[in-house]
Amino acid sequence: MKHAFLAGSLVALLATATAGAQNKPPQVQVSKTAAADLKSSDGTKIRAALDEVRLAGKTAGAPYVASIVALLDRGMTPELTTAAIDTLADLEAQPASQAIAEYMQHRSVRVRQSAVKALGKTKGPAAVRGLVKGLSDQDGMVRGVAANALGQLKAKSAVPDLFLALDHRVNEAATSIGMLCDPADCEKLGARIGKIPFDVASAGVEQVLFRTDVGDDTKIKLVGRIRELGTREANKFLAETTKKWPQKGSARIKQALDQAVQATGGGS
Amino acid sequence: MKKLVLLAVVLACGGGQTHPNLFSTNWSDDNGASIAAVMAKIGSAKPAVGADVAVGVAGNSDKVVGVALAGGQPWTFAHAVDVRPTIAGSVVVGEGGGELFCLDATSGRRIWSRQVGPMKMRGAGDDGKTTVVTLSGNEGGSVLLAIDRDGSVARQIESDKGLGVPAVLAGYAFVPWSRQYVSVLDLSSGEEAARILLRGKVSHAFAEAGSLFFGEQDLFRLDDKITGGSRNQATHLALPQRELPGTPALMGPGEEPLGPVALALDKTRIYAMPTAGDPIGFAGDRFYGTYFRLAMAFDAKTTKLAWVHDEPVDLVGGAAGPSTFVLCDESGKVLVLDAATGGVERELSLGAPIKSCAAQADGLAGAAAQPVPPLADQISAALTNRDSEMVSGQRLLLRELATLDDESVTKTLVAITSNPLTAPILLADGRRALAARRSGAKYMLDALAHHYDFLHDVLLTPPVGPMAQALAAMKNKQAAPLLAAHLLDPADSDGDVKQAAAALVEIGDASEAPSLQQFLALYHAAAESEDVANAVVSAGQALLAYGGPAGRKAVDAVLADPMTLEMVKGRLTAVEQQADAQKAQSKTTPPAPKK
Repeated sequence: MKHAFLAGSLVALLATATAGAQNKPPQVQVSKTAAADLKSSDGTKIRAALDEVRLAGKTAGAPYVASIVALLDRGMTPELTTAAIDTLADLEAQPASQAIAEYMQHRSVRVRQSAVKALGKTKGPAAVRGLVKGLSDQDGMVRGVAANALGQLKAKSAVPDLFLALDHRVNEAATSIGMLCDPADCEKLGARIGKIPFDVASAGVEQVLFRTDVGDDTKIKLVGRIRELGTREANKFLAETTKKWPQKGSARIKQALDQAVQATGGGS
Repeated sequence: MKKLVLLAVVLACGGGQTHPNLFSTNWSDDNGASIAAVMAKIGSAKPAVGADVAVGVAGNSDKVVGVALAGGQPWTFAHAVDVRPTIAGSVVVGEGGGELFCLDATSGRRIWSRQVGPMKMRGAGDDGKTTVVTLSGNEGGSVLLAIDRDGSVARQIESDKGLGVPAVLAGYAFVPWSRQYVSVLDLSSGEEAARILLRGKVSHAFAEAGSLFFGEQDLFRLDDKITGGSRNQATHLALPQRELPGTPALMGPGEEPLGPVALALDKTRIYAMPTAGDPIGFAGDRFYGTYFRLAMAFDAKTTKLAWVHDEPVDLVGGAAGPSTFVLCDESGKVLVLDAATGGVERELSLGAPIKSCAAQADGLAGAAAQPVPPLADQISAALTNRDSEMVSGQRLLLRELATLDDESVTKTLVAITSNPLTAPILLADGRRALAARRSGAKYMLDALAHHYDFLHDVLLTPPVGPMAQALAAMKNKQAAPLLAAHLLDPADSDGDVKQAAAALVEIGDASEAPSLQQFLALYHAAAESEDVANAVVSAGQALLAYGGPAGRKAVDAVLADPMTLEMVKGRLTAVEQQADAQKAQSKTTPPAPKK
């Protein structure tokens, strides 16, 4: 009965959380028993406590991070493991990154998928190490999420691995490279235009073009690379980029884009 | 009517009459009396050494090509080819377009040709003066022709029996038939001068090594013991029994004409040359087997594999010589290999790709051969051929490889079992062989250092399980940290993880405890297969053995955890109890008295 009530409450809480705006944290209090439940060996209690902590949000849930990490260290069923990892992800608990990274070598692909998603949120050096490892995972989803997360985490040190991943058709790596590359690396990305699918390459180039920490020369070279393709999809990309180009953005780039759009207008 | 036409075709050529009483089954065993008489008449006459040549069917089965094995330019004879040419002594006899033709074996020059209509040649023999040919006749019957060098038919004999491949010596034709008889026909009279009854399948008569032989799978020699043929006392040579891929034969049924194009049976053949001396044996103590692109030589006494040679294209024919083995491949290449080592003595060309081949190396003298790598390396090279057609042959070679003690064998087995392109059946064999190795640990350790790595194109995990078994049996402690790392590699198969954990019980030490504890924690409640559950139990066993108090604590925690899988809990409890009992026993057992 208690469980039924608890489940009902959770459904209501989840509904509230979903309905609420993302920037409006749900006002959920963690029950007094949660701490003890997380230290118990009762799977049902642990699961309920994890859900409570998760819904309580980053601040209210922070005190429970250590207990959840301890659960991961102890080891649980795959279902509870993924629940614990998901909870730590929602709490964006950087101290948990190391424990979660250990699960990047779990035999269950579901667990590894949870872990790689979580590391993108928990951040920190341990997360970056785990994500770089994830680029070599057997599972394509793990590789893709890892590549994407490394860009989000601004893990510049991972750029060489991201290039390797891109060359192994981990397409998400292109966007991350575009977010992280220095001029030389951006040029290396440009050199792949025409060699990898255009939508993959352009996703990376777009990131570079709209960055403020990359010089005009690098960007102009990339526009030139796209222009050289002369294809219809190149023209479409250049035209859309021109439309999105900020009014206060570089006039040189704008000019280069305009000229490139014009030059590729008859593309096939 | 058809019979009349056939007769007309042949008789138009002249020659003697037929003898309806020949090849009669109404025959009483004369205990060798008749053949003894023929042997007396033959006296010391022996078959001359045949021409050493290779002959192939080329083009659109519209030309015969040949080359002398001693070297020289290949020759070509343009003619339709419906039946595979055969080499008999110093001539080549073939048939196509309704015409039988005889060529000089070394030059390809036409010696004679005769119209034979729809009949198909089965085989031929030649003694330097006369060529005897058997052809298919009407309704399963046969025609035997004895043709002189000028092309005239000296004797023509018809029979309703299926006659096999004949031989000729000193005016007598030796004609196998009914799979057990060899009728000896006096070509001057056309009468059956003798009959040999042999206790073995007989459909071929042939001259080789200066003697006449009869047989199909086993061989019988024409010598003074042939008189005891019906009593199983003839000089007899059986092929050693041994496993060969494709269950190849020494010779096919002699009553069946061979088509111009080599079939799979022609590519999976046994070759051997019997000796003329006593006791009878195989020349060079070798017999050979081909399997598509592989040629293998075996010791005739022990049947052990002596060497392997692999070619890029299929082998379609060949011949065993006194000290050589000759092979023709589909490209028209002819190789003369040293019987002892398999080293290439000569490489010749028929000048064109071929569809089939016949060779004769009756008197071919050996020459200096190219050096060959050790047998293990020869096998390794043959195993790298990725053609799925080769798998049966490769499985045999793999088994042969596994019997060798050479450390490099382990290296080869590791390479085969780590290669994603290895055929699954070969992979399974390779893993079994690797698990049984007791040498070459360094190659295993090198392999264990590798893990699945998508970004670096390592897409197949090393054969961790078999190597774990082998290294544990070798008590190789260097392997322990490497195996511990594989314990935590999700790309390794469940079976490999199980073996890695089991090996760590044997060869691990305290330095592996952290990995074992981590494994125990990750999977005591999450093992998704029996193999992984067993690995958890082994990890616990290892921790109890050398993990110290922390290891014991980790095991106890797992046993106390309600989430621990029942199977793991049950077995681990038993393991712990056993460990405790052993510990208690060692405490109570008094130390051995000092000597």
